Amino acid sequence: MKKFFAVILCKMLHFMGKLTGRGSSLPGKAALGICRDILGRIELPERIIAVTGSNGKTSTVEMIAAVLKARGIKVVWNEEGANQIEGIVTLALSHASLGGRVKGEVLLMEVDERYAAEIFEYLCPTQLVVTNLCRDQLTRNRHPEKVYEDILSAVHPQTELILNADDPLSSCLARGRGKVKWFGVEKCSVSADHPTGAYHDGAYCPVCKGPMEYDYVNYNHIGSYRCPRCGHARPTPDYLGADVDLEAGYLTTGSGVRIRLSLRSIYHGYNVLTAWAVCCNAGIPEEAAASVLSCYRLKSGRVQPFTLGSHRGMLLTSKHENSIAYDTNLRYIASSERDCVVLIIVDAVSRKYFTCETSWLWDIDFDQLNQLHVKKIILSGRYCKDLAECFSFTDLHNWSVQPDICRAVAGIRTRGSEDVYAVTCFSDRDKLLAHVERH
Amino acid sequence: MMEIRIIHFYPDLMNLYGSHANVKVLRRYLENMGCTVTVQRLSPGEKEPLISGEGEPDFVFMGAGTERSARAAMEDLARFDTSLKSWARDGIAMLFAGTAMELLGREIREPDGSVYPGIGLAEFVTEHQERGMTGDVYGYTELYPQAMVGFMNKSGLIRGVESPLLTRLKLGWGNEREGGPEGFHQGNVFASELTGPILVKNPRLLETVAAAVLTRRGVRLPDPLPRDTLGWEAYAVTEEQLRLRISEKAP
Repeated sequence: MKKFFAVILCKMLHFMGKLTGRGSSLPGKAALGICRDILGRIELPERIIAVTGSNGKTSTVEMIAAVLKARGIKVVWNEEGANQIEGIVTLALSHASLGGRVKGEVLLMEVDERYAAEIFEYLCPTQLVVTNLCRDQLTRNRHPEKVYEDILSAVHPQTELILNADDPLSSCLARGRGKVKWFGVEKCSVSADHPTGAYHDGAYCPVCKGPMEYDYVNYNHIGSYRCPRCGHARPTPDYLGADVDLEAGYLTTGSGVRIRLSLRSIYHGYNVLTAWAVCCNAGIPEEAAASVLSCYRLKSGRVQPFTLGSHRGMLLTSKHENSIAYDTNLRYIASSERDCVVLIIVDAVSRKYFTCETSWLWDIDFDQLNQLHVKKIILSGRYCKDLAECFSFTDLHNWSVQPDICRAVAGIRTRGSEDVYAVTCFSDRDKLLAHVERH
Repeated sequence: MMEIRIIHFYPDLMNLYGSHANVKVLRRYLENMGCTVTVQRLSPGEKEPLISGEGEPDFVFMGAGTERSARAAMEDLARFDTSLKSWARDGIAMLFAGTAMELLGREIREPDGSVYPGIGLAEFVTEHQERGMTGDVYGYTELYPQAMVGFMNKSGLIRGVESPLLTRLKLGWGNEREGGPEGFHQGNVFASELTGPILVKNPRLLETVAAAVLTRRGVRLPDPLPRDTLGWEAYAVTEEQLRLRISEKAP
């Protein structure tokens, strides 16, 4: 009876939420209030794919869903983005019959890495995909090794793992397990010989803490590693990105399938490869998956074009507290060739909770902006002085500070016609979009 | 021109969330005061000429790491235990920030029951918990009147600190409990579990540490001390935000 009421209540609240444009967590929260173990009481599809990790979850899940749908598979997935237990309950129950049977062939879930234990207590994924583990949201995650331990403790022995061979930390999840598939990217045009970035989390082996050696890195500590002390090393990928050519804009798999990239970044290359690996692993023909993924434009895209007077603008949404997300966008700007102005905004560190924590700014490699085509950098928002202190240690001299976002935008509008890149977080992006012409 | 030597212990292993910026900002501050600063980065197992008898450093720093990295760091740091104690007695300035603070104590106890020794510069003991303790911190030290700000990111309860760095907290986690005293301070040894660049976030602490370095070398300090202007402006924002937060939470 509790199950029935939980399903009814969740469906009603979800329907009302859709009408009022409210969040997707509340219905699940209410259902959990009635029936704590509701996820264990409902009938789930045979295939349950969970995707977790620090970066790339949302994009990867969206692309997997696109492929599955294109193949005519009925997939239930958290399109609305809520990835904590309440959101997963909303997702499952809003797609369930009154009897509690989830009406889909595949349940595809983006799972918040810190909520995996809570979600997997009642639900056993057939496949768990871990995109990568890196520094993210220290204010709740503490550090990547803590997140690793949380995921490790949550994984069911019968779940098949699909892991990033190039990530020395998340690859440790495979230790002592048989059911593992690997994806990884070979050395490519953007690879470096050593770990890159403002810090080196890959410098030491996550297993024995001995110094690691790298054949190459594709970004930060993601690459081909081996530990001479304990032997922890990059496994051979089952699903290989044999060639990622960002200039030409394609990824060629180890089996020779070519996928065109809508975003020419190595991070996007990894997301596309992960989605392709998951789909192939689910039995979808390689070419068929590749044809959907080719030039697939993300709806959840973090890139939003705008116009600002005579300027052509692009909002590159990052995540505060996540230096790699920032590095991704700075790398994108550095690789562009047209003259540009860069506006970086840190106003509210988080949209969900209060904090003044800005240590993570020091993990960002702002020197990437040291390019001839980057004409001017403007630092704005409440924590612009923290940003400025970071910039004062870079080799850059073309930066200035304008705490008021409205004035910072107005200042750009009135001068010149260069491209504008705005780099900020979800929590702050509307503060920019309110002052520009949106497309 | 005065030459200042800094030893930065384990800059890759113990470098969570911008810890390295502490060395950067101190270096720049001392250089702006006319010093020539050499930073010697020391990795585990690496031989260090200064330590093998070429003279004492002027400042010693170690930053935050994961619990497992801190344990690996301690395995190597053990070989410096006599030197570190002797430097502390000689008044050499040191900053152990974030989880590095735990290594100064007598021992570290893990949730699985295992125990490993610290340097033993102080008698305190760290007990790691399964649950982490995170959150903004606002408190006071007896070194100067301005509030100290920062962010706590730890899993250890530290028991037995007799001389804390922050004697009074108005917000956040202290050594043993929320709102309790935080960190460790004895002579010129400064330690705090506050994560990341605490010298950047607290320009008055930067001045205090720089003064400790220079005074030991017999330098007559200018009055007033030079200011890291951007650092002070950033501090003012955080200090105000945290103060407002505290007043909002007050009954």
